[in-house]
Amino acid sequence: MDRKPPFRRKTAISYKTEEKTVMRGYDLSELAEAGYSFYDAMFVLFQNRIPTENEEKMLKYEMGVFLEHSMSPSAVGSIGVSAGRPNLPVCVAAAVSTFGGVHGPGAAHGYMLNKYLERGKKEGKTVAEMAKILVDEYMDAKRPVMGMGQPQHIDSDPRAEPIHLKQEELELEGVYLEFQRAIEKYFHAQRKRQGRSYVGVNVVGSGNTALMEIGFSPNAGWCIGSVVRGFSCAAHALFNMKKGRAWGASRNEPMVQMIDLSMIKYIGPEDRVVPKQEEQQEYARKQKEEGEYKQWVI
Amino acid sequence: MGYLNKEKTDELNKIKRDRKIGNLGSPKNPFDYYEREYGTVPRDTKRAPFQWVSEVAYKNVHRIVTRGYDTTELMEEGYGVIEVLFVDYQARIPTVEEGQMLNYVMILALEDGLSAPAAISRIVARSKTFLTQACGASIMAFGHAYGAYSAFGNRLDGYLDRVDKGELSREAAAELLVKENLHDEALGVSSLMLKDPAAKRMVARAEKLGVAGKYIAFTKEIVKAAQDLSTEPVDLDMLGATGATMMDLGFTPEATWAILAVTRSFAAGAHYIEEVEREESNRLGQQLTPKEDYDGPADRPVPPLADREKFAKSAICRTPEEWKARFEEMKKVRGSGFSIVEEIEDPSKKSGIKKVGKL
Repeated sequence: MDRKPPFRRKTAISYKTEEKTVMRGYDLSELAEAGYSFYDAMFVLFQNRIPTENEEKMLKYEMGVFLEHSMSPSAVGSIGVSAGRPNLPVCVAAAVSTFGGVHGPGAAHGYMLNKYLERGKKEGKTVAEMAKILVDEYMDAKRPVMGMGQPQHIDSDPRAEPIHLKQEELELEGVYLEFQRAIEKYFHAQRKRQGRSYVGVNVVGSGNTALMEIGFSPNAGWCIGSVVRGFSCAAHALFNMKKGRAWGASRNEPMVQMIDLSMIKYIGPEDRVVPKQEEQQEYARKQKEEGEYKQWVI
Repeated sequence: MGYLNKEKTDELNKIKRDRKIGNLGSPKNPFDYYEREYGTVPRDTKRAPFQWVSEVAYKNVHRIVTRGYDTTELMEEGYGVIEVLFVDYQARIPTVEEGQMLNYVMILALEDGLSAPAAISRIVARSKTFLTQACGASIMAFGHAYGAYSAFGNRLDGYLDRVDKGELSREAAAELLVKENLHDEALGVSSLMLKDPAAKRMVARAEKLGVAGKYIAFTKEIVKAAQDLSTEPVDLDMLGATGATMMDLGFTPEATWAILAVTRSFAAGAHYIEEVEREESNRLGQQLTPKEDYDGPADRPVPPLADREKFAKSAICRTPEEWKARFEEMKKVRGSGFSIVEEIEDPSKKSGIKKVGKL
């Protein structure tokens, strides 16, 4: 049996021999036997260290609360893919891949915090001053302030403030929580001044703050947050695969299905005649001249 | 939008009928293509409107609930990922020992060096993508050979069903399973862990915690039967230990497959990060494939388009004999797909237990 890796790489993460699998110097089997938790293993994987007890507790809370979020882009993506009945991992892969610039943008939030903290240090400004600058700059540029607002939980994400509180309870308050709290305070005040509605902190704003505080980089935090959601999205896909109808278009179901033909609303160009090949050149030239097509270009 | 009105529909269809479009006027067509409606199907008001239906979870403005438990309340009570996995997949809170066992399994499943999931993650990373793309791709590495938990578990269930029905004793079922699947990648017994005690330690831990059940017991019988039948040394491997333990914890083969693939994806994220940190990105067209690795047809001149008929070779087979001859010939063309057979069926209930691979 060929046991060579698919390709060679110098890596500081792990190695595997016939005798053991070692991650950051620790034999995985020994780590499990010694009674460490899966959350501890995350610190070893991404930070090359055993965490304090409270840091471990914080990550446990964070990952657990983020795991399930019912119908979000990730679950919907997973269910949508499952309609074709591919192998289950494909549904989960799709779910994890939905995390991007808007849905759970943990890394973006982390990079934002780091950028302004760095700038504050260079410019000799306090964390509170930098929070004000950050909010002003984002609002002036009409950019969404990362970590604020959630389209479903309009009164603030139910997980968000409890994460902040847990961080405080565990006495894990550091520069990130101070910065995030200041951003929220100034953000709320600004919107109130502008006569705009209340927009609460979301789970990226609070959860990613906690992840950064306990030492994870923006991308490591994003990995933890988005991949842990994969667990629940697999359950959603599996429920649909085991108890639902494939395709999601059956007319025999008592409820109109996800992609029933009647669910399609078309707002594109009107039905038209396909030009014959001999008409193509003239037809195409005219179409380009008139330019009506441009409104449809995406 | 709904359907276009009759007048406009008739007008448009008449133009098309008069112009004639390819084969669309053929009487062989199942309906008249020049009488088709335009526009979308009107809203169905006779049936209930579409909603996302779920047994797993719901949320509203102020709460997220899985299997009846508010997720924030779960965390405030001190539970974590381990317990929520039992809730999501089994609608129950695990015992302390079950939680400890799943924790153990997930640590072991987290990292596997530069095997397929990490390798895929790194390859995707080199294209300069989001981390989430690479993590997603790593999950797709789990199939019916690598990380074949679905195949492994469904096979156990199949043979154990026969034991439950009284058709076979557990020992006889294990012997039959091994006889029928000795060389299958999803057997759970192989030469992979002869020097690494991790698989056996996992089973020992399950027994110590009192969570070992019929799947571990059956897997042990399978190991014994495989050792008797195999000509080379074999023993319990990580697939067998992990798969059997997860099923004794109450997870279905599919749930096991998903949970462990996602678990590995965390480490795939670390591999993505390291690849970006230590290596360069790839550009389109950058990488070369050395000619010494090529064993296809020798370099040859492209025939002029005008001579197509002279060089072209039709694939049309007029008789089953011709078809068979061509099929066999095509098996020699590597990359054509004629040498493999796959299971592409609805994997909703059971998957990965049919024989697939090279013809």
